[in-house]
Amino acid sequence: MIPLINTVALSRFFGTGEAMVKALDEVSLSIEPGEFTAIVGPSGSGKSTLLHLIGGLDKPDSGTVALNGTNIADMSGNKLSDFRRDNIGFVFQAYNLIPVLSAAENIEYIMLLQGITAVKRRIRVKEMLDIVGLAGMENRRPAQLSGGQQQRVAVARAMASNPSIILADEPTANLDSKTGISLLNVMKDLNQNRNMTFVFSTHDQKIIERARRLVYLRDGKIEKEETQ
Amino acid sequence: MLILRLAWRNLFRNIRRTVLTCMLIASSLLTIILMDGVMLGMIDVMIGSLTHTLEGEAQINSRGFRDDFEPSIRINNYREIQNELVHDPVVRGASARIIVGAMIASSYNSAGALVYGVDAASEKDVSKIEEAVYAGHFLSGQEREILLGRPMAELLEVELGDRLVLTSSTVDSKEIVQELFRLSGLFEFGPETLDENLIFINLDKAQSLFELTGAAHQIAIRFNRPEMANDPTLNIYKSFNNDQTEANGWLALQPTMGAMLEMTGYSTLIVGGILFLLASLGIINSMFMSIYERIYEFGVIKSVGTRPAEIIKLILTEAFFLALISCFFGIILGYFVSSYFSTNGIPMGRMEMSGIVLDGNMNTILEPYQFINFPIYVTLLTLIAAIYPALFASKIVPTEALQKAL
Ligand SMILES: Nc1ncnc2c1ncn2[C@@H]1O[C@H](COP(=O)(O)OP(=O)(O)O)[C@@H](O)[C@H]1O
Ligand SMILES: [Mg+2]
Repeated sequence: MIPLINTVALSRFFGTGEAMVKALDEVSLSIEPGEFTAIVGPSGSGKSTLLHLIGGLDKPDSGTVALNGTNIADMSGNKLSDFRRDNIGFVFQAYNLIPVLSAAENIEYIMLLQGITAVKRRIRVKEMLDIVGLAGMENRRPAQLSGGQQQRVAVARAMASNPSIILADEPTANLDSKTGISLLNVMKDLNQNRNMTFVFSTHDQKIIERARRLVYLRDGKIEKEETQ
Repeated sequence: MLILRLAWRNLFRNIRRTVLTCMLIASSLLTIILMDGVMLGMIDVMIGSLTHTLEGEAQINSRGFRDDFEPSIRINNYREIQNELVHDPVVRGASARIIVGAMIASSYNSAGALVYGVDAASEKDVSKIEEAVYAGHFLSGQEREILLGRPMAELLEVELGDRLVLTSSTVDSKEIVQELFRLSGLFEFGPETLDENLIFINLDKAQSLFELTGAAHQIAIRFNRPEMANDPTLNIYKSFNNDQTEANGWLALQPTMGAMLEMTGYSTLIVGGILFLLASLGIINSMFMSIYERIYEFGVIKSVGTRPAEIIKLILTEAFFLALISCFFGIILGYFVSSYFSTNGIPMGRMEMSGIVLDGNMNTILEPYQFINFPIYVTLLTLIAAIYPALFASKIVPTEALQKAL
C-alpha cells in the first residue's frame, strides 16, 4: 500500500548565514490512510512548517512531499489551489472562519469553490453541522459562536470538501482543555466512523494522550515516534 | 450568490470607512453632474446670446456675400425663399436683410457704419433688436426711422428725433446717394462690435435707397428647436445650398464658437479627470486598508483552496457594490442639487467672453446622460482603482499571512 503522505528528507530553512533557522531538517515521514497522528513538540520545533509543507502552503528547500503519490512541490498556481481545495482540509489555531458569513455559509464556501450545486451543498452543510454537533446553529455568525464551536465549524468546513486528509495546526491551542478534548473527540469520531485521516499538531499533554500515533519534533528533526 | 453576499457584507464590516469612501465617490459624481450642468447652461446662454441677438441660428446668404460683404451679390428671389421657410414646420421665423456699408453724419460728427435694412415684423421672431432698444422705439415701417447703438449715438452727439444723414452708393450704378433720417431709437446689445458699428433701417427703405428692389443679402433663421440648427439633414440645408445661395447653421457661420465649445468640453474632461484621479486615490487607499485588516482571513481562504482569480473577483465585486451605493446617492444628490440650480439659477455677474455677453443668473441644464453615463464612468473608474488592491490581495502568501496575524 502506498502511503497517503510521504515526505522524504524534507527541509525548510529561514534566513541566511549565521541567522539561518533550520525550521525543518530532513524530515522523512509516512502517513497511511486512516491514521490519527499528532505532531508534538515545543513552540518553534517546526510543527507548523511541516504541516504547511504537507499542505502545499509552502515550498521545501529540499526534499519532497507526495500526497497519494503526487509530488506537491511540483505544483503551482491554480493547479495547487485546486489541489488543496479538493484534497486537503485545513484547520488553524483560530480565526478560521469568515466573520461575515454564517456557520452554514462558511461550510458552503469551500463547496462553492468546488462547483458543487446549491442543493447538494445545502444537504452536505446540514450533514456536516450535525456531525460536529452544531445542528441548529446554521445561521450563527462566528462571533455568535464560542471558540470551541468555531473550531468545530472549521472541522466541518474541512470535512465538507471531502479531502483525503485534514491538517490541523494546534486546533485546540486557543481552547480550554475541556473544550479542546471535546473538539478532539469530534475529530476522533470522524477518524473512526468516516475513516478521515488527521494530522494535527499540539503541545498539550491531555491532547497528546488521545492521539494514536505521536511524532515528536525538536529543532526541526524527528526526535522519536510512538504508537499508543 | 454566496460570493455576492460575502462581498456585500464585507462592505459593512467597517461602516465608517465605507460611508466615507461612498461620500468621496458620490460627491465626485455630484460634482461632475453639476459641473456638466453648469457648462451646458453656460453654452446654452452663449449660443443663445450669439444666435438670438442678431445672427440667427442659421442663415441663407447669397453665395459669396459673406466673404467680404460685397453688396452687389444678392438674393433676388428672397421672397420665395422666405415664403418656403415660413411654411417649413421646423422654422420658427425667417427674416430678410440688406447689409451695406455707409457713412453716417450728424451736425457734429460722422462715422462709418454697417447699415442693416430689416423687416420689423419678421425680425421679431428671429432677433433681439427690439428688446435691445432702450430709448425711443423699434422700427415701425415708417420711412425715416433709424436705430443707432449707444456708443455711435454718443459719438455723433445725437438725441432722439435728431437728424442724421446716411451717405453711400447705389449697388449697381455706384452713384452716390444721400438720405435724411431722424433718430427714432437707441439700442444696446452688449457686445461693443455690434453697438459701435450697426445701424438699423427699414428693409424697404434700404431696398429703394441702394437700388436693391426685391432683393436681400441674407435671411436669418430661427428654429422651433434650437438644437436642430446644425443638423445637416434639415431641408433648408439641402434646398438652399446651390450656386445662388448658401445655407449654414451657426456652427458653420461661427467657427470660433465651435472651437470654444470644444474647449469647454475639454475643460470638463480635464477637471473630471483630475477629480476622478483624486477619488481613485481615495478608493485605492480605502481598499488597501480593508485588505490589510483582513490579511489573515485572505491567508485562510487561500489555504483552503481559493484561487487568486477568485480573490480578485471578490475585491472587484466589493468595489462594484461600493460604486453602486455611491452612485445611488450621487445620482439622487446630483439630481436635487442640479434641479435646484436649474430652476433658481446660479447668480453670476455680467461677463463678456469673445464678444458674447453673459448676464444675470445661469441655470444648470439636466440631461439624461449625466445620470446614466457619468455613474457608469464612476463605476468603471472605481473598478479600475480597485484592480491594484485586488492584485495585491490575490498575491498574499498564506504562510506569511497566517504568521503575521497570530
Ligand atoms: N516565515 C518564517 N520566516 C522566518 N522564520 C520562520 C518562518 N516560519 C517559521 N520560522 C521559524 O522556523 C522555526 C519553526 O517554526 P514553526 O514551524 O512555526 O514552529 P512551531 O509551529 O512548532 O511553533 C521557528 O524558529 C520559527 O521562528
Ligand atoms: Mg506553530
